[in-house]
Amino acid sequence: MRLEPAMKDVLVIGAGIAGIQASLDMADAGFTVHLVEKEPTIGGHMAQTDKVFPTLDCSSCILTPKMVSVGQHPNIRLYTLSEVTKIDGRAGDFTVEILRHPRYVDESACTGCGACAEACVMKGRIKNAFDMGIGKRGAIYIAFPQAVPLKYAIDPETCLTLSRGKCKKGPPCKLACDADAINFEDTEKTLTVHVGAIVVATGYDPFDPRLKPEYGYGKYPEVLTALEVERLCSASGPTLGEIVVNGKKPSKVFFIHCVGSRDHTVDNLYCSRVCCMFTAKQAHLVKDKVPEAKVTVTYIDIRAFGKGYEEFYERVQSEGIIYRRGVISEVFKKGDKLYVRGEDTFLGETYEEEADMVVLAAGLVQRKGLEVIEALGVQKGDDRFFCGPSPLDPVETGIEGVYLAGCCAGPKDIPDTVVQASGAASRAMTILSREEAA
Amino acid sequence: MRIGVYVCHCGINIASVVDVAAVRDYAKTLPDVVLAKDYQYMCSDPGQEMVREDIGEHQLDRVVIAACSPRMHEATFRKVMEKGGINAYYFEEANIREQCSWVHSDREVATEKAKELVAAAVARVHLQESLQEKEASVIPAALIIGGGIAGLTAAKDMAEAGFKVTLLERKPYLGGHVAKWTDTFPNMAKASEFLTPLMELVKTHENVEVLTSGELVDLEGFVGNYQAKVSLSPRYVDETACTRCGKCLEVCPVEVPDEETWGLMERKAIVLPPPPHDPDTAFIDASSCRHFTEEGCNACVSACPEGAISLEAQSEERIIDTGVIIVATGYNLFDPARKPELNYEKLPTVITGPQLERLLDENGPTKGKLVLNGESPKRITFIHCVGSRDHTVGNLYCSRVCCMFTAKQAMMIKGRYPDMRIRVCYMDMRTFCRGCEEFYNAVQGMGIYYTRGMVSEIFPKEGKPVVRFEDTFLEEMMEEPSDWVVLAVGMEPPEGTESLQNLLKLSRSADGFFLEAHPKLRPVDTDTDGIFLAGCCQGPRDIADTVSSAHAAASRASIPLFAGKVAIAPIVAEVDTEVCAGCALCEQVCVYGALKLDEMSKKMTVNEAVCKGCGACSATCPSSAIKLRNFKNHQLLAQIDALCVKSAEISG
Repeated sequence: MRLEPAMKDVLVIGAGIAGIQASLDMADAGFTVHLVEKEPTIGGHMAQTDKVFPTLDCSSCILTPKMVSVGQHPNIRLYTLSEVTKIDGRAGDFTVEILRHPRYVDESACTGCGACAEACVMKGRIKNAFDMGIGKRGAIYIAFPQAVPLKYAIDPETCLTLSRGKCKKGPPCKLACDADAINFEDTEKTLTVHVGAIVVATGYDPFDPRLKPEYGYGKYPEVLTALEVERLCSASGPTLGEIVVNGKKPSKVFFIHCVGSRDHTVDNLYCSRVCCMFTAKQAHLVKDKVPEAKVTVTYIDIRAFGKGYEEFYERVQSEGIIYRRGVISEVFKKGDKLYVRGEDTFLGETYEEEADMVVLAAGLVQRKGLEVIEALGVQKGDDRFFCGPSPLDPVETGIEGVYLAGCCAGPKDIPDTVVQASGAASRAMTILSREEAA
Repeated sequence: MRIGVYVCHCGINIASVVDVAAVRDYAKTLPDVVLAKDYQYMCSDPGQEMVREDIGEHQLDRVVIAACSPRMHEATFRKVMEKGGINAYYFEEANIREQCSWVHSDREVATEKAKELVAAAVARVHLQESLQEKEASVIPAALIIGGGIAGLTAAKDMAEAGFKVTLLERKPYLGGHVAKWTDTFPNMAKASEFLTPLMELVKTHENVEVLTSGELVDLEGFVGNYQAKVSLSPRYVDETACTRCGKCLEVCPVEVPDEETWGLMERKAIVLPPPPHDPDTAFIDASSCRHFTEEGCNACVSACPEGAISLEAQSEERIIDTGVIIVATGYNLFDPARKPELNYEKLPTVITGPQLERLLDENGPTKGKLVLNGESPKRITFIHCVGSRDHTVGNLYCSRVCCMFTAKQAMMIKGRYPDMRIRVCYMDMRTFCRGCEEFYNAVQGMGIYYTRGMVSEIFPKEGKPVVRFEDTFLEEMMEEPSDWVVLAVGMEPPEGTESLQNLLKLSRSADGFFLEAHPKLRPVDTDTDGIFLAGCCQGPRDIADTVSSAHAAASRASIPLFAGKVAIAPIVAEVDTEVCAGCALCEQVCVYGALKLDEMSKKMTVNEAVCKGCGACSATCPSSAIKLRNFKNHQLLAQIDALCVKSAEISG
């Protein structure tokens, strides 16, 4: 046994709400946190969410103070546009290689003024992934106004200077930047950090509803995913909070539960745990914004299990939203009109109804590109999410010094994610506080 | 005085309703305002940086930011003040979002109101006093209340992080409900395989002291420096001498309902806790022991070959100094007698899921055989949501575990007795936990009848229970003759919740469970600094989610202990001893126990670390002797005056 002090530094992979919470706990306790995020900003999916159930708090209003704390914390080293490429070692003594992708903007110089984005010739021409493609951005951009760090980034694929070697007579963004922060020569950099423990908080991807072609996603513009509806509902989103589908206000809205969850046909047997509630919330928001619309939710079982959730479900039902038990088998067009075909299991009959907005409660799936974590020996369950040796302790991986936080260890809502993130931090801190490496 | 005013757009949150440029220009006209600006997001890094720079460049000595609620960003902006080099309390936030733009739609009126709010903030900031935050040291120790899976998990983490832990359990043994469970969902591992090593680790850890038969009776102090008074009841049996031989049980004349089976079986007044409860040595339940109830009985004392029993033992009290407290007091099961239509009390083979669990346990009272009153069932009906999702008993919430608890029991029974006819009546199947939907699929594949529908009653027919329910798919009323009916009872806050609530100054949500500080982002914190929640005392959850929350509570509780110090906010009450008459009316209204009458001087004193700055005392004091810093009358009246002047201008 080597008698070396355990490293007081810790690595957190992923800066959604799980990584943010784990980082803040450990940084507040006095440990140095290396927080690695692949996107140009932290915040993850929670930043895309309009309001949270069951309180209907504005999501970014409660999230952004935490994001700002991360950005300003003296004990947090934030690496955005970065990924972990290699991990060696053991509890108390890991060596981690971090690859930093070029931002093409000097983070220390950029003031976040936005003059570059105004000047970009691609302005308003590129789908903003943060807005699920509904909003548009330029080649130099921030994902949303409260981004942390509030530093612009250039997307090399759409930037004319970087992809074609030429943009007008001199790149307008560079000319517009008073801080001289734009650097087209920026390159990838690799750095190495030594840490005592690792928290994996890589999150999830939404299920791709194109894998259920019977719902017509990607074919009919009236068919949306839940995350797209979040952006539509958001007052700071691309429609400034107006529900506009295919250019008009909807009047017949159908929500479809369990898209890509509890479904053998797409090899996702598991329940995604959050869709019942985010659908109830979205049904409420749509009804609130378009009171004259007929809003129908079709479901298999309503899983309103968290604190105040059952009560919220009852409230939504009392607002004139129709809950129909039974699956929708198909979304289709007859002439220029869109229909859903479903079964009402209470009435024991099938029905066809017209719809002008169909929302798919797409479930949560494991992300791709997690080979570095798998190489550490972290196991995956049949559901492909990370797991440990016992389902009774979801924080543990079975590898000392490596802990799981949030949806990378299975779908869960925000409170359960925050809980698990603090939980992972707790386990990590038992390693960091050791007198010696194991 | 040089005041800077900043008006935030908050994206479109404010700017879409309030004309921020007009508010900014108006602010420039206010007395002593030397600078006024508007900005997209004041809370963003560049927004903060702008204020910091302006403080130096324009020699600002007071700042007003018109933005969101101070609850959101007051702390953020106070830090900016400090970075700029002026006192953090020379600052006022005007709330023009929650109290203006979010609640108004008329742009003109909303803009005028925003101006008023800014004018009032400027008037008040003139009079703000400079205040200093203080620090207090922290005792590097944790008190954990509850020795179930949650308390044990939290104790493990805190002990391993190097802190002293006192684990306080009300019962004479550790283990909680999980010690009574057999196989756990979703992978059917034995509960004891998870629980026993954890109990072993905790009780043998050098940083942990376990106190069983103990209850918290008083609490003083504040985060970092709590003094907890605990009362410890005697076990009456020397733990080190007892060999579990059971001779004492043979002679004990008492028979009372057994808590272990929730009254399904009986026990003696001297009890041997079944494994994996720990310690599993005998103890005497004084409330049923004849030595105490009728006096005189000493049967067990003379029967014990080890001489381990002493009925003279006395309870004792101890003070535990601790920095933080984790509440892990678990839950109670819903009592189905509160639903008389289920005839739980009248029909002996109508039992609860947890009672069935004891019968399924190979180490339980029937050695795992399904036998009640000498008979084994051939038809079992399970009923979901007993005491949950039920307005009639006042429990609107879902208990979160009963769907899977039932599915697991159905699977165990079908595995042991393949010919058993099993029907499960449910409302919605909530098999959301990891691996649980898959489990539910497997259970359905075993030939168990799942029927969606509410049960209206259980009635006797030839001594056997019949379940009447509605099949909501067939839209028909059905009757299911059964040998046994198993009620999937939900969870409720445990007894003692109310006294703990008062001692710890906690709040409870509408469901009666302890209330977290924020439902989304502070799910294990409470509004009392240094007190945290783990497991089901905050709301129903399964073992995995309980363990997760216990780890989380340990993390949150560790932060002040690692930091070694806590900040004491300076906006607290202060007493003008010249004026104070020592009437102590303020002490009666202080819910935090921050005020005490000094017996010597007959003046009130404020414990600044405990005071939350609520202001109840200053509103109560008949002689205005106690005041809240920066919320003094002249400061508030200046703010109100400014509001009225502006209003008069508009209406006039």
